[in-house]
Amino acid sequence: MVTSIEALEERIESLRGRVRRARLAGDRELAAALRQELRSAEREWDEALEELAGNQPAQNVPPARGEQPASSAPGSPPGGASPAGVAAPGREGTGVAAGGLALPLREQVHQALTLLTVPAAPRLVSLVHEAFFAGAISGARLTSLRRDEERSFRAAPFARPYYLCAALTADLLAPARGVLAVSTWPMERRVIGPLSPRVDFLTAAIQVAESILRVSQPGPGALRLLWRFASNIPGGMTSGGKTNPRRVAGAAEAERGIHADADQAARTDAAQRARAQLNDAQQLFGTRLRGAPRSAAGG
Amino acid sequence: MALRVGEAATRRVSIGFRPEGGAVNVTEARLDRIRGPIQPRNHNARTIAALSSNPGCARRAVMDAAGVDKQQVAAHAGFPAPFGQSRFALSRGNAFEAQVKADGCAELLRLLREHLDLPIPEASYADLEEAGGNTSREARYARTRALLARAAASGDDAGTMFDHPLLRLGVGGRPVYLEPDLLAFKLGHQFHVVEIKSFAVIDGQADGDKVAAAVIQSAVYVLALRQVLGELGCGPDLVADEVLLVCPENFASRPAGAALDVRRQLTVLRRQLARLERIDSLLEALPPGLTFDLARGPDGAVQRPRAELADALAVVPARYTPDCLASCEMCFFCRQEAAGTTAALGVTALEDLGGVEHIATALHLARGSADAPGVQAEAAVLLRAAARLRQECLGEAV
Repeated sequence: MVTSIEALEERIESLRGRVRRARLAGDRELAAALRQELRSAEREWDEALEELAGNQPAQNVPPARGEQPASSAPGSPPGGASPAGVAAPGREGTGVAAGGLALPLREQVHQALTLLTVPAAPRLVSLVHEAFFAGAISGARLTSLRRDEERSFRAAPFARPYYLCAALTADLLAPARGVLAVSTWPMERRVIGPLSPRVDFLTAAIQVAESILRVSQPGPGALRLLWRFASNIPGGMTSGGKTNPRRVAGAAEAERGIHADADQAARTDAAQRARAQLNDAQQLFGTRLRGAPRSAAGG
Repeated sequence: MALRVGEAATRRVSIGFRPEGGAVNVTEARLDRIRGPIQPRNHNARTIAALSSNPGCARRAVMDAAGVDKQQVAAHAGFPAPFGQSRFALSRGNAFEAQVKADGCAELLRLLREHLDLPIPEASYADLEEAGGNTSREARYARTRALLARAAASGDDAGTMFDHPLLRLGVGGRPVYLEPDLLAFKLGHQFHVVEIKSFAVIDGQADGDKVAAAVIQSAVYVLALRQVLGELGCGPDLVADEVLLVCPENFASRPAGAALDVRRQLTVLRRQLARLERIDSLLEALPPGLTFDLARGPDGAVQRPRAELADALAVVPARYTPDCLASCEMCFFCRQEAAGTTAALGVTALEDLGGVEHIATALHLARGSADAPGVQAEAAVLLRAAARLRQECLGEAV
């Protein structure tokens, strides 16, 4: 039974390939059937792993939540605790137990954005999800997400507990390019002033650093993410190129203090305008200029 | 048609090189006829930069001024150009640019702080790639102007980084929108142009040709930025002569920056642009009925006979040099035309053989089988010496 875990891994890999091919070929029925088969193989893998772990002297390995190991850190050595090292912080207590794989895309994005607490670009959302939850989110799938959410909102406003919406530019209250936000956030957080991209970057750095502090053994993805932040914040790294979460959080907090007041003022002002001038849908998805003012262009 | 009238009007306003409108319209009408009934090709930083590489070529000057689609003309004449950027290069370039600009230009901000001592509080960022969801060039240009005017007029905190500003430059009397992949930012009351390129700087060294191309493109942007700010009533000193080139360092994709001086390129470009505005003197020497129109039928098929097009091209003198192969779509056509001339051997050979136009003549002179008239005497001495050396070394005649 135990020896079959490698065979199971091979089977899971091949099933994934077949699911992908079936899906790309447009054969939904076959894809669904294969996916069922994949799920059962993953369950078997979990059981086999539990069995293996039961035979090992118990260490402080947190219980591998659901299906997560199957998708996270595929390059890590088999056995060991590494897949569980990126286990969800579980601080929300929501549907995380269901595992990343089973969650719909919008909920995965919501998880990542909730961790960051600020509007973020799809790439960062994907990296955060990869580092702290289960698996990367492909960027291609995120491109249409905001449009789908907008369509859903316009069809039935406020039917969902939250929507993934646009962040609004402070001057024109138009959707900011390539940034995702959550509709339940206050307007002040969803508008983007001139200093906001930097402030949001620093806030994201603090959130990521604090999340890493909460995990006993942060995975390589999380540490890579931390390094990405650290290298671009003054004082985020030692001269030897080393860093740690506390240092990053401290440096980010210090720089955020410099920009915070000006940024907050711009955001409060824009948020007031947005609430006064825009309807519900526009507050979430922004307004768009239609037709260029010719006189301005010629000016 | 309305568009064309508008363009002519803009030309008079923005350039004003010919106060009596009639002459402008004659030039415009001739350029329209040369191009044929299609939309003119717009210049971009690359094509403007390419202008400076071969200033003496009338064919390129006329075709560019008329906005002819050189790629299609060359292809129909039987000499398709070897150009077009590889899509892998394009996607690598875009990915690197996106990386540098990700998260509110986090990486770029680090470079600016390291290389140009940008103070920490200056981190303001404005995305000019669209104006309120509107991506039309007019709207973007208007917004760029408005933000630049505000930044130029007010204190330090009125904008630091401007992502993808849209600038406008008068080229050959026609306003050209430049969509630079760069940021301009205000530091110490000067705007700096930042150019992001995806070729690697390895151990402090980068490919010289690529750097040269990047520098001249940046110079185009500096010129355009100066023109935009000039229209707003600011002096040219407001734009720095130094541009910041951002490239991946060594074998990783971590960006590194280098400051480059573009003063020389600016001089060259200014001279070229002034020359383009004198395009009417070039046109005077050409037959009035000249056109490079491909005469496309309703189905889009080219109906103009190839030989006729080639004849029309031959009317406009070209100045082929091997360098053209890197920058001009007409290069293969001109190379075939220039075959057998000393110009096709490159600038060095051309200068050494001053007064000798054809390779065959040069060979005759070397053999001593032709008399050298006065202008060729110097080259003839040189050629005979070379022939003698060759004979002594290889033991065979030329």
